[in-house]
Amino acid sequence: MEILKIGITGTVGAGKTTFVRAISEIEVVDTERVARDETALIKTTTTVAFDFGRLTLNSGQILHLYGTPGQFRFDFMWDILIPNVHGYVFLVDTSRPQNFRASRRLLNYMKQKTQTPLIIGLTHTDCQGAWQPEDIALTLGLVDSNTRPPIIKVNATNSHSVAQCLILLVEQLLKTDFNVI
Amino acid sequence: MIQSSVLQDLLQRFVSSTPDIQGAALVSPDGLPISSILSAEMDEERTAAMSAAILSLGERIGQELARGLVERIFVEGEKGYSILISCGTEAVLLVLAGKAVKQGLLFLETKRLVAEIKPLLD
Ligand SMILES: Nc1nc2c(ncn2[C@@H]2O[C@H](COP(=O)(O)OP(=O)(O)OP(=O)(O)O)[C@@H](O)[C@H]2O)c(=O)[nH]1
Ligand SMILES: [Mg+2]
Repeated sequence: MEILKIGITGTVGAGKTTFVRAISEIEVVDTERVARDETALIKTTTTVAFDFGRLTLNSGQILHLYGTPGQFRFDFMWDILIPNVHGYVFLVDTSRPQNFRASRRLLNYMKQKTQTPLIIGLTHTDCQGAWQPEDIALTLGLVDSNTRPPIIKVNATNSHSVAQCLILLVEQLLKTDFNVI
Repeated sequence: MIQSSVLQDLLQRFVSSTPDIQGAALVSPDGLPISSILSAEMDEERTAAMSAAILSLGERIGQELARGLVERIFVEGEKGYSILISCGTEAVLLVLAGKAVKQGLLFLETKRLVAEIKPLLD
């Protein structure tokens, strides 16, 4: 049986933990702690190590989902998790322009750590002030629409939407000639 | 908010009291530095984040693998030890000690320090 390791990353509050919880068939291993930094303005808890969940696809593949922390002080966790994934979802909260700069920095960090396929998942598109996909792509520095990763809207609170997003990533993976570890 | 100088003094005294205790840091459970006595080459912010991450995973192991409440996490390295202890809901204590330290004494001293810190944070 094929196990695919999938990273779920993005800045604080993008919806990584919610995403993994929405789809996992096992009880998620999460490491939430009460937030005392700026995160507290958005929500009460934040991830300090990782989220782990699992999903079996109809095709028989098993996805191991690893949600990362979002703050830069946890970059050592990114270094542990991201180089080992077969592909990853990069989540962006489209309704928080104040986070776009950090998103771009984080995306560049991830790209330096791994060349594996990624897709961009746009969350909070139902929220007030949400930016359009094309504008988000530009703020992330993804100017060339021919070479940039696929961009998909995803509501992390909705398992159906999360499934769609993961299916897109797996399709992306199957296009490339990746080695299962 | 408690005076950080009080905490700093406590940590300083703790580290100076025993030659084999080399450093101590108090961090918030979400990985922010509160107070620390660390050697210059150790980054306070990274240390804080790592301490919170490992304590959270250790506590998760205690919980999911039925080991009960976690008293401490003990990392034994070639050159010394790192110990992580929860200081109530407000903080996590990291202690760094050299290989020559007497473990029993280290645990005892650490427990005593936690008992001193806890009321200051509540
Ligand atoms: N309205 C709306 N809310 C969303 C959507 N996606 C996620 N959320 C909410 O946004 C919040 C995201 O919180 P988390 O899942 O903890 O975010 P995270 O990325 O894990 O954050 P850190 O671990 O702190 O980095 C939750 O309250 C979700 O319910 C979306 O598409 N629409
Ligand atoms: Mg999270």
